[in-house]
Amino acid sequence: MTIRDEHIFEATKDLYSWALRRVPDDTKAALARARESETNETARKTLNMMLASANAAETADRYVCSDSGVPVYFVKIGTKADWNANIKSAIQAGFAHLVETIDPPLLKHVTNPLTLERGYQGKDMPIITYDLIEDADYIEIICSPKALGSGRWAAMELFTFPTLETIETYILDVAIKAGSQHCPPVVMGVGIGGTFDYCAKMAKEATLREIGTPHPEKLVADMEARLYEAVNALGYGPMGTGGDTTVLGVHVNYAAGHGFTPVAVAFNCWINRRSRARIHSDGRIERLE
Amino acid sequence: MRTITLPASREDVASLELGEMVTLTGPIVVTAGIPTHHRIIEHIRSSTPTPIALNDTAFFHLGSYSRETENGFEILYMNPTTSTRFNALMPEIIRHFNLRCVGGKGGLDDECARALRDVGGVYLSFLGGGAPILSAAIRKIRHVAWDDFISHYRLVELEVEALGPLTVAIDARGNSLYRNLDDGAAQKRAAILEQLAQRRTTGQ
Repeated sequence: MTIRDEHIFEATKDLYSWALRRVPDDTKAALARARESETNETARKTLNMMLASANAAETADRYVCSDSGVPVYFVKIGTKADWNANIKSAIQAGFAHLVETIDPPLLKHVTNPLTLERGYQGKDMPIITYDLIEDADYIEIICSPKALGSGRWAAMELFTFPTLETIETYILDVAIKAGSQHCPPVVMGVGIGGTFDYCAKMAKEATLREIGTPHPEKLVADMEARLYEAVNALGYGPMGTGGDTTVLGVHVNYAAGHGFTPVAVAFNCWINRRSRARIHSDGRIERLE
Repeated sequence: MRTITLPASREDVASLELGEMVTLTGPIVVTAGIPTHHRIIEHIRSSTPTPIALNDTAFFHLGSYSRETENGFEILYMNPTTSTRFNALMPEIIRHFNLRCVGGKGGLDDECARALRDVGGVYLSFLGGGAPILSAAIRKIRHVAWDDFISHYRLVELEVEALGPLTVAIDARGNSLYRNLDDGAAQKRAAILEQLAQRRTTGQ
């Protein structure tokens, strides 16, 4: 059997629906740990409400947040996968079908940036990026619905031959600018280096990394650990009403570049919407999260 | 935890402390739309009544999915949106309607806090991502106005029971958790950067 349009279609619509209804396990575990360690009583209660809301959504099969965001998919194609599918149009069809059938219905969040008109469809929607996985015999799709609440606070700056001090100061200042407003505790994804476009992509992908999984290189893992403590020391806390827990994780990705060094920062709010499925070459769809 | 019965008395609102959590029971008005706020302001400036009376009400930045059925409108879910988007529009609305309670998520700025102080109102922080909990508090849909707007931009009056818990984030004296936290972060910034520098040199 071969991976065909219908498999991509099925995975696309299911992934979006899952992401809206279920807070990932790593995120729930991180919220529960924060609830234990918080010294601020209001913050502990807020974390408790977050966990209650996540559980209520899962049990009742409802959305955690009313803002379903816009559909964002990352497609990773195994170079040894057996596939014959129009992946892009299958994803578009999958999302269109989801909009028509999902219960309860979605609010209209897809926005034309020039007219501010809102609907379910729009130019270049869903937003899809494609990558290859060497030697893999499957296609993996990650869905990360994205909304204004935390999406609005992403930022990027271009430096020339910056020191680590310059880079870390910038990242801290982006966290200060977001302040109370991005539905903390957040996952903070950072991209350093590469080019303008690649850096933003690295930051976004860093938000998708499992919480508690440090970067494999010590230099980067150390940076993640000290930035995690630095941002939490700011004191914004859960929902930005004060506390020790403003981030659940700081994830840094980097790439070599020229002397100009982009630094990008992206946030995922506490519900950390992320779902992932693997489509095997026999057409079987395996839900990974 | 206190339950505030709406419409809230001036005394009840004045007694709320920063960081305190409360639940609300009674009528509220909600919207998540910038165009809605613009239209409210048009009504203020042309001295035309809004379709839902806003004087002394609890007015929240909550988006809701409303749809019309044979028995009138139903609300399928609701959840807060970022209030700071309405910073420029809220002071006039707060002052004109003497809003007793406003709220949403992410807070409002200093000018809005001054407006709340002037009318003796508070800002209540809702749980973002709290749709299942918040939607369960809806008891009745009183009025869905301006249904020419998309669902979450409509002006909706609901009756709720034990809505929350909500955190008092700006009190009736104009004190703001958001201002305090921003000032605190600005004060701590130098020490945090120093700590980062030390950890870089010790290889941590």
